[in-house]
Amino acid sequence: MDPTVTRVLAEASVKIALFFGVVLTVIAYMTWVERRVSAWIQDRRGPNRVGPFGLLQPLADGIKFLFKEAITPPHVYRPVYLLAPALIFIPALVTFSVVPIGPTMSLFGRRIPLLIADVDNGILIILAFASMGVYGVALAGWSSNNKYSLMGGLRSSAQLISYELAMGIAIVGVLMATGSLRLTDIVTHQITNGWNALWQLPGFLIFVTAAFAETNRLPFDLPEAETELVAGYHTEYSGMRFSMFYMAEYANMITASALATTLYLGGYHVPGLAALGLPENAAAIVQVLAFCLKVAMFLFVFVWVRWTLPRFRYDQLMNLGWKGLLPIALAHVLWVSFLVLGGRA
Amino acid sequence: MVVRLLLGLIFVLVAFAVVRALAPARAALAGIVLGAGAVVLVALNRQAITSVEFWAGLCGFAAILSALLIVIHPNPMVSVLFLIVNLFSVALFYLILNAQFLAAIQVIVYAGAIMVLFLFVVMLLNLKAEEGLRGGGGPQRYGAVVLGGLFAGLMFHALRNRGPRPYFEPGSFDSGFGTARELGRLLFTRYLFAFEAASLLLIAAMIGAVILAKRRIR
Amino acid sequence: MRVEFFLLVAALLFTIGCVGVLVRRNAIVILMCIELMLNAVNLTFAAFAHESQSMAGHVFVFFVMTVAAAEAAVGLAIVIALFRRRRTTDVDDASLMRW
Repeated sequence: MDPTVTRVLAEASVKIALFFGVVLTVIAYMTWVERRVSAWIQDRRGPNRVGPFGLLQPLADGIKFLFKEAITPPHVYRPVYLLAPALIFIPALVTFSVVPIGPTMSLFGRRIPLLIADVDNGILIILAFASMGVYGVALAGWSSNNKYSLMGGLRSSAQLISYELAMGIAIVGVLMATGSLRLTDIVTHQITNGWNALWQLPGFLIFVTAAFAETNRLPFDLPEAETELVAGYHTEYSGMRFSMFYMAEYANMITASALATTLYLGGYHVPGLAALGLPENAAAIVQVLAFCLKVAMFLFVFVWVRWTLPRFRYDQLMNLGWKGLLPIALAHVLWVSFLVLGGRA
Repeated sequence: MVVRLLLGLIFVLVAFAVVRALAPARAALAGIVLGAGAVVLVALNRQAITSVEFWAGLCGFAAILSALLIVIHPNPMVSVLFLIVNLFSVALFYLILNAQFLAAIQVIVYAGAIMVLFLFVVMLLNLKAEEGLRGGGGPQRYGAVVLGGLFAGLMFHALRNRGPRPYFEPGSFDSGFGTARELGRLLFTRYLFAFEAASLLLIAAMIGAVILAKRRIR
Repeated sequence: MRVEFFLLVAALLFTIGCVGVLVRRNAIVILMCIELMLNAVNLTFAAFAHESQSMAGHVFVFFVMTVAAAEAAVGLAIVIALFRRRRTTDVDDASLMRW
């Protein structure tokens, strides 16, 4: 094979392995964080037996899930039932590949951009894969052949479509300011012109609200509302297949947090870092750490909200999506377009 | 080489359709036939595996196979799933044809919105597999298959007798082609009226859908 | 890569969709086959746009997608209305003009 092709392939594989290794580890530890923070909020102790501060708990959970019997109930529609966990997990991970986690670094005499794929239509790819997430939930609900699961799947497909709309329109504000669909352009634009969250606050809030709904987290976790639907779409799943749903929820959270950071909080940008005059690689590492910090902040908010707010009723959810967020998002786009015309960006 | 690939593809698909029609319960048998066909195809064109033609052929294979399954499969939900596969393969074709923006909106609009709507309706009505796919059926069914074959032959003939055209290298064009920027420029200048008319169409469809699906109009 | 390849695939897809509309009696599957036909036409547009290096074909695909979205929404609304009245999605059962 052509040596440059080999090099590009090797670089890409190393990056993919690193990215996904890190994301999967963070997913495992998010379960621990969730339980510790919920315990802290509710004045309990939380998992603290396995290792120091219970830090080895995710490992123990993983082993438990692996060794549990994966039961396939006789009444399910088997091909789709087996496909659904993968369908919900893969889009969440793939979306992460277009998010830039840092600027370009110089390693081994090569300039390496710190993202897997710098695509021209980055935002569109994110929207495309975000809209794929609904199939996993809806198909899991349908193939389980159980009325609670079916209702969970129905709810989630309606919910995801309505909130995706508000989310997409909120993103339009960012696109208009940047004039590009490429995520690296959006970050560099924020570095020179200030973070989007500062002057597009309504869009930012709509994006975060819609992200909560897209990830099926409380207060929008109606598809799996355990008090009404038993466990919604994953009632019939057990063992490792169930843990795929569990992991997908956290993968979705991480991706949504990374997106919110990139689109609205300046991505890896650290204000005032250029004035320090650090060498390039050191500055890049600081910026990657800043990106991780911002994402961690969002993740904490996700957990915090979950243990603070109660669940919406279904009609309230639909009203908020269609009568609340969507008109506000449209008005926001109008406002941003006036600002852009007036030379704000 | 493309012709050989395509002929092999059509042969495998016909074999698949026949197996499915003769032994509807044996999905595994159809799968084996398909797999054997694929192995033979690759063995025939061993060097082709790194070429765009091969991957385009694979895409076309997926597209036509999924299209057949939409029509053949008795369960509407499975039809929805195969239509999604089909839309994805067409999106891959768009990428090969350098229409990256179209590929993205194909996935967002078709696979992400329209198909979710179909999925939602199939789930809402809780449709089960139909019985009457093979038995029953009037003369219309057989007539349709025969006429469809004739139609395909006609198209094949038209393609064969098309004037000679240059061979093109996929993905080797000026940077502007197929981007959102260029498409937007065209939409808001030359095709502005059509664009606005499309927005009117959408709002009419929206109101129509709400009124049609409403339980009772007060 | 010859443009004929794409045209051929599109022609086959269109034929399958066409046969599907005639063969199947389930209204939802018929709607899906119509989407399939629209897709085949879109593929032809994109192939010709590429061959002639003109973006006009892409504009047409864009509009076809808009029409497809509108058609799917109205069509599925009709299917739901039909199902409410007659508890069926079979188009042969929807042959009466009243109720």
